[in-house]
Amino acid sequence: MKRLALLLASLLVAIPAAAKDQLHLYNWNNYIAPETVKRFEDFCKCEVVQTYYSDNEELLAKLAAGAKGYDILVPTSNAVQALIKGGQLKPIDKAPLPNLKNIDPAYLNTAFDPGNKYSVPYAMSLTVIGYNDRKIKELGLPTDTWAVVFEPKYLEKIKGRVTVLDSSSELFAAALKYLGYSANDVDEAHWKQAADLIKKAKPYWAAFNASSYIKELTVGNIWLVHGYSNDIFQANLDAEAAKRPFHIVHGLPKEGAVLAVDNMVIHKDAPRPDLAHKFMNFMLEGKNSAELTNLIGSGNPNMDALQYIKPEIRKNPAIFPDKAMASKLEQLKDLTTAQRRVRNRMWTEIKAGR
Amino acid sequence: MSSRPSERFGKWLVSAPPLVYLLFFFAIPTLIMVLASFRTPGEFGGLSPLIEDGKLDLNLDSYIRFFTESVYAQIFIKSVWYALLTTLFCLLLAYPLAALIARSPKKYRDLLLLLVILPFWSNFLIRIYAWMIILGPNAAMARAVNSVLARFGHEPVPLLFSSFAVLVCLVYVHLPFMVLPLYANLEKHDQALLDAAQDLGANKWQRFWRITFPLSLPGVYAGAALVFIPALGIFAIPDLLGGPEDSLIGNVIKQQFLETRDWPFGSVLSIVLTVAALLLAGLAAWAGRSQLGTRSSGVPSRA
Amino acid sequence: MRRRPVALWAAAAAGYAFLYVPLIIVVVYSFNNSRLNAEWVGFTLDWYDKLFHNQEMLAAAGNSLIIALVTSLVSTVLGTMAGVAMYRHKMRLLSVLVLAPIAIPEILMGVSLLIFFVLLNFTLGLASVALAHIAFCIGFVAIVVRARLAGMDESLTEAARDCGATPWEAFRHVTLPLIMPGVIAGALMAFTLSIDDFVITFFTAGAGTVTLPLQIYSMIKIAVTPEVNAVSTLLMLLTLALIVVASRFTPSLLRSD
Repeated sequence: MKRLALLLASLLVAIPAAAKDQLHLYNWNNYIAPETVKRFEDFCKCEVVQTYYSDNEELLAKLAAGAKGYDILVPTSNAVQALIKGGQLKPIDKAPLPNLKNIDPAYLNTAFDPGNKYSVPYAMSLTVIGYNDRKIKELGLPTDTWAVVFEPKYLEKIKGRVTVLDSSSELFAAALKYLGYSANDVDEAHWKQAADLIKKAKPYWAAFNASSYIKELTVGNIWLVHGYSNDIFQANLDAEAAKRPFHIVHGLPKEGAVLAVDNMVIHKDAPRPDLAHKFMNFMLEGKNSAELTNLIGSGNPNMDALQYIKPEIRKNPAIFPDKAMASKLEQLKDLTTAQRRVRNRMWTEIKAGR
Repeated sequence: MSSRPSERFGKWLVSAPPLVYLLFFFAIPTLIMVLASFRTPGEFGGLSPLIEDGKLDLNLDSYIRFFTESVYAQIFIKSVWYALLTTLFCLLLAYPLAALIARSPKKYRDLLLLLVILPFWSNFLIRIYAWMIILGPNAAMARAVNSVLARFGHEPVPLLFSSFAVLVCLVYVHLPFMVLPLYANLEKHDQALLDAAQDLGANKWQRFWRITFPLSLPGVYAGAALVFIPALGIFAIPDLLGGPEDSLIGNVIKQQFLETRDWPFGSVLSIVLTVAALLLAGLAAWAGRSQLGTRSSGVPSRA
Repeated sequence: MRRRPVALWAAAAAGYAFLYVPLIIVVVYSFNNSRLNAEWVGFTLDWYDKLFHNQEMLAAAGNSLIIALVTSLVSTVLGTMAGVAMYRHKMRLLSVLVLAPIAIPEILMGVSLLIFFVLLNFTLGLASVALAHIAFCIGFVAIVVRARLAGMDESLTEAARDCGATPWEAFRHVTLPLIMPGVIAGALMAFTLSIDDFVITFFTAGAGTVTLPLQIYSMIKIAVTPEVNAVSTLLMLLTLALIVVASRFTPSLLRSD
């Protein structure tokens, strides 16, 4: 019995990393194609150790508490903003990144990272409407406006068949856009209007759900969602694979939507910044960047990648929005502590049914 | 009971290791977060520096917020209610299970016990997904319920994304933590006691209510503690299959640490939750003990 | 003569049914020819095949198993000691320290342990996760052992001591066999809690440490594929086999007398 315990204890301690060169990538799950990883490992003669998170906030919380050991992180722009201001990132050396020129200048030199000192765009998604085309067409509902998510006159036809994202920033952004304000509006009075709009619509919604809504949409239990464009793309693939009598289609609201750009950054305590830069340059190559888009239908800021992307994805307006739509897209900005507190109180009141 | 020196040594020998371990790996880390409840949140996450410009940055802001913004207390009470219901239903379901296992012949007992806990070695998420399939609007259960309701002219009721789904899964997830303590207690009940009572004329119900149940109270109490207390803080189940009204205090606490990045306030909510849970547990223990007379063993004061 | 009350059997059967209907779905859906865990489409063994080639998932499962075994071992020992101490010596401090980890929201405990480990400059990895798990599992074991001890006849132990047995001998030959079902129940709970923990593990895991729940939860926004059902089914069978084998080698361990 004692021997068993000793053996197990020694196993625990002896598990640390092998002496091989390792790049620690902390990323969303399924946010890099396995072939790409393998090709990079061959290219750099190193091992890529992947760990995952499923939410920017999880990443931020873990790093704020002091975790280290990660080289590359892939946060969304507002999280990048928080990380930069919190002093969590290592500045990027542009010299080993000749492929940076492949990125569309529209996505460079942003307000939260002027001069791209810390971040390099990786992939994007839009937060739009996703719907079951057969059911929604039957009911004659509009799909190019947020009204179908917020207005009771439309919602009563699909009561209990709608889900919205369980994220206060995303839902408030959609409500603010619908009311004609900016998604980054910080006027408390406008927030109150948005909260009232949400409260009026809430009784018709099935759930606030960010995790299982795609599955329910594909199966046909849910007919309309407020969700991410690559999730909706995936749902359609699943629906086709299951030979369902309907398709899952993107609905682009004319009032505008949130654009989420995910970026590669290097953690300030990265053990291997050299490998990190190699990885970044590798992912900035058009061919490698395109693999992810072809896999999950994510938007791509890389101009060189466009030639490698499957035509049906290239034509999808929710993945590659046209100029008109692009002008109505906004990236979310991080809020101050005081603003976050107010927002949380409103959100809790909404959830508590007050 | 005489207190020999070896007795006292034995007392420290047996209590020191868990005490030291918990002090080091629980009490000290928790104290860090208790201290955090008096601090200000960092602008971009985490906490502000403790000592800023030579001044100690401690305040009661987060506590004041909790006591002035009543929505948090409201959600807290709702969570207590859910946890109580969960505990009750777990007890009702677990008692026959534990009783059956305890009464079974020895060679089957271990297998039956393992069978109770086996499902819980599979992953939590897919068990919940299985419930989503069972409770889905097109599955047998929902169709049956709604056809009955339709006969009374009632609107169809969603089983999924509702409080019903949340409660079913809460009970499901906590059931083994009621079965195991109950079993550990029921297993030692002497059948001879019950046989003697039967010979004296007691019927089945009297035997249960006057002998078995009181003797099993320590097990009931242990099971109730191991269900109620964790159930208070749960957030994953409402996240996955709760309706728009099913947000619980666990969800609010999670939001403080993640979306809102307000660790001090999350700390305050957690402290309130923990203190309340411990108080309720202590209260129940005290009530149980005073009801059963001076001995905490659970033997009724009337022979 | 043993009575077999029908009502008891029926109620217990209902309990088992409640426990097993979802599990049957889990196992059956591991053969589902669909990426989603939502509807039956057709039969396939592909997911098991995928699983055997999925190094990450298998490594994660292995890590979870190791951590759970160590956790249940250590927390059972410490928890039994705590349970005995709480019952015999009525230590208030220990009672609070044992119950509090069960009450404290996991996210707070995870963040606080992470901060603590970082302060100590302790490298995060499997060990940090195990240490965290043990902390919250001790309570579960302690409470069950204490409940088992309640009402135990102290005179037996006293008699043993009067006959010249040392406290350890009295414990090992008198107390321990009597509380064994409680100890086993506690160990089972500790193992179960550890193998499925997500929140605390998320915060205390190192940069290369992946356990099964971490792997699976990260899939939550894309799709929790039947591969997860497959790995769960296999893990359950493996654990069951391990326990059956262990009980063969130590028959006295599981018997209550």
